[in-house]
Amino acid sequence: MNRKRVVITGMGTVNPLGHTVVETWQGVLEGRSGAARTETFDASTFPSTFSTQVRGFDLADHIDPIDADAHATAGRYCKFAIAAAYEAWAQSGLAGCESLAPARLGIYLGSGEGSLDFDNFISLLVDAWDQGQLDTRTWADLAFERMDLYREAEQESNMVVAHLAAAFGVRGPAFNTLTACAASTQAIGEAAMIIRHGDADVVISGGAHSMIHPLGVTGFNRLTAISTRNDAYETASRPFDLTRDGFVLGEGASILIVEDLEFARARGATILAEITGYGCSADAFRITDQDPAGAGAAASMTNALADAGIRPDEIDYISAHGTATKQNDQVETRAVKSVFGRDTTVPMSSTKSMFGHLIAAAGATELITCVLALRDQVLPPTTNYQHPDPDCDLDCVPNTPRKHAVRTCMSNSFGFGGQNNTLIIRSCDDGEGNR
Amino acid sequence: MPERRVAITGLGAVTAAGIGAEVLWEALLQGRSCLRTIGLFDAGTFPCTVAGQVEDFSPRDFVPKSYRKATKVMARDIQLAVAAADQAVKDAGIVTRAEDGNNMTYAPGRLGCNIGAGLINPDLTELGQAANTAVADGTFDLRLWGEQGMNNLTPLWLLKYLPNMLSCHVTIIHGCEGASNALTCGDASGHMSIGEAGRWIQRGTADAAIAGGAESKLNPMGLLRQSLLKRLCTGRNDDPAEACRPFDTDHDGTVIGEGGGLVILEEMDSAVNRGARIYAELVGFGAACDPGGVDITRPTVGSLDVAVGNALKDAGIGPDDVGLIVAHGTGVAGEDAAEAEAWAAALGQAVGSVPAVALTGTVGSLYAGAGGVETIVATMALHTQTVPPTVNFTAPSDGCSLNLGSQQRSGPFDYAVSGAFSVGGQSGAVVLKTYQP
Repeated sequence: MNRKRVVITGMGTVNPLGHTVVETWQGVLEGRSGAARTETFDASTFPSTFSTQVRGFDLADHIDPIDADAHATAGRYCKFAIAAAYEAWAQSGLAGCESLAPARLGIYLGSGEGSLDFDNFISLLVDAWDQGQLDTRTWADLAFERMDLYREAEQESNMVVAHLAAAFGVRGPAFNTLTACAASTQAIGEAAMIIRHGDADVVISGGAHSMIHPLGVTGFNRLTAISTRNDAYETASRPFDLTRDGFVLGEGASILIVEDLEFARARGATILAEITGYGCSADAFRITDQDPAGAGAAASMTNALADAGIRPDEIDYISAHGTATKQNDQVETRAVKSVFGRDTTVPMSSTKSMFGHLIAAAGATELITCVLALRDQVLPPTTNYQHPDPDCDLDCVPNTPRKHAVRTCMSNSFGFGGQNNTLIIRSCDDGEGNR
Repeated sequence: MPERRVAITGLGAVTAAGIGAEVLWEALLQGRSCLRTIGLFDAGTFPCTVAGQVEDFSPRDFVPKSYRKATKVMARDIQLAVAAADQAVKDAGIVTRAEDGNNMTYAPGRLGCNIGAGLINPDLTELGQAANTAVADGTFDLRLWGEQGMNNLTPLWLLKYLPNMLSCHVTIIHGCEGASNALTCGDASGHMSIGEAGRWIQRGTADAAIAGGAESKLNPMGLLRQSLLKRLCTGRNDDPAEACRPFDTDHDGTVIGEGGGLVILEEMDSAVNRGARIYAELVGFGAACDPGGVDITRPTVGSLDVAVGNALKDAGIGPDDVGLIVAHGTGVAGEDAAEAEAWAAALGQAVGSVPAVALTGTVGSLYAGAGGVETIVATMALHTQTVPPTVNFTAPSDGCSLNLGSQQRSGPFDYAVSGAFSVGGQSGAVVLKTYQP
């Protein structure tokens, strides 16, 4: 018995480059930077004063204001996800689809946690501090006065699933994974597995995240993982460049409608791409570092290639994890070479040069750029690339997009802690030229 | 080609009953409640002061010597998972990197890890110490924090609180280089992790996996959030052992328990060939969602009936084949009622005759740790053909037709079903079968 084939039939995104897929792709092709001074809180004395934020976003611009009201308690990043999901849903043409039973519609997201109610949270730690210790009795008294039920409850990362389930009437399998920076790539891969297994006809997948809040930036600054190039923030995200000094923290959400090919065909859907391979692995090395040999990352790619049943030389383009940390880009280059051969000429760019790092939402956002690369036969660039690094010497499609014949793409995501995920997609014809 | 079969060969639980699945099973058979007045911090001004706390717990005892230092960068949730993994691996008798990296029972790339987690709360004392260095005129000053205050946090601070660190530490300790995941779906996480890991083995992505979940909400933020949700029992602070009463006519809220439950899943032929003790077989998995779950003030069970129905279908059995139900039974009145209704919808007439059990009277609500522990109890019940009593169940709450008992009962039964649901509206269920070669 042949296994079920899985396709993408809708896409939506809210990210630092745009609030729709069209705006986003235009930004990518223009090589625009999403970076700006951080506005959501006063970061002016932080080691990193900038980030790639979503600016000027209002959910009511994206959906019926009545529907937007229904999500009034949602956190900021969750609203990004709702807008992205409505966009993806509209493109898929599933609205009013009678053949889709609610129990056959699933969700598999890689969404982050909501941000803390920082001002109240931190003031409690000061006001209930007594002689070098937290007085938990006072803390509780004050916390019940100040903290809000919804603001607290919406921090659980499964609440984005809950909002999307409400919006689209989902009764099927509903998951959320939070494998850090690999989460939404993993979500799409496992969503495809759910469809292959026959548990759902359609799965709303992707991810959402924002860690642009005081403790998020604190955490990454303490890890020295993010760029501190405050005087040149627009060009701070420099994947594969010798002068790179860390990633630029971003936020956003991207949603893809993942569907059983036969189901999609039967309802006459427009098919954007087919998901043919999914690979997953763990470095099992150290929580603070990647395996320097890149064995875990390589295993993820190898597993995805095996799942797709193709050879490395059949990959026309790799969307890199490419965070612009010293270590990642070097390890990733090594891992790709170990799979594709030392002399591989496969182009591999990092759109994090423009988006920044959307953490849990990164992989889904990058996969959208892969689908568009297939559609337009053009490779997204790695911008801000000026100084070659001998340890990162693959073709990174420097600075400008490139016309290129591309039929099959690989997208990599590697999470903090060593969880790696790879997806392979190919253009929507079935090999015989039929769409 | 028939699907590969999945054996459950190792059980690791860390709960208020103690360390290990055996002590949990004993407490259940004795009908003992392990709920106590909260001792981890002074919770005296919280509306609920009862919890299922893991006592005398030293995470250093559950990691290789070389990894002891790393326990300092683990939030308690992570420590519980690491201890549960240690117990499960030892119980299965498999060799992992923790014992000997050169002689692992399964090749590292074929060993997966799938551990559910919750929202991990930062340690308030640690953060408070740093925050109070950035105070001007009695209030926190963000500019001082950015300049200097944040430097009082350990550089690895963030890594203590990422929910994937439960699985990441376990992969490092045990050398699991295969498929890896960290599901965060509240109380449904554990069943989903076990179900998904079972699928990995069925389709050949992995040959074995450590799967389940762990969480501790037993800290001020966790207790605050559950209190704001009005899910906790507030009227029995003087009588902790009686506080959590799943499906009982006097139920009036749940109690936070901390815990981790991880199982070792192995491809059946591999398990048989190495002479493993096979507790049970994982034969079905289902998940579902309630679109109304977004309203967190309304009790929801995440369309558990659909999840259970999907799991039975996946197992290829009908309601009449089910011999045991391990219910979630939070003890929240509205949730108990909706859950009982869901089991009745999924099983029909059979719901009144199939023996059922709920664990929260013994260990409290374990959140992301629940599914793993509930699966462990279902496994033990099948393996020993024994159904433990449900602690604090005296008479059924309104509309509850589940066949719970205050006394121990015995089999025979072939199939057990266990399912759970999250605040937010997701559910997951697994079907286990007694091992038959």
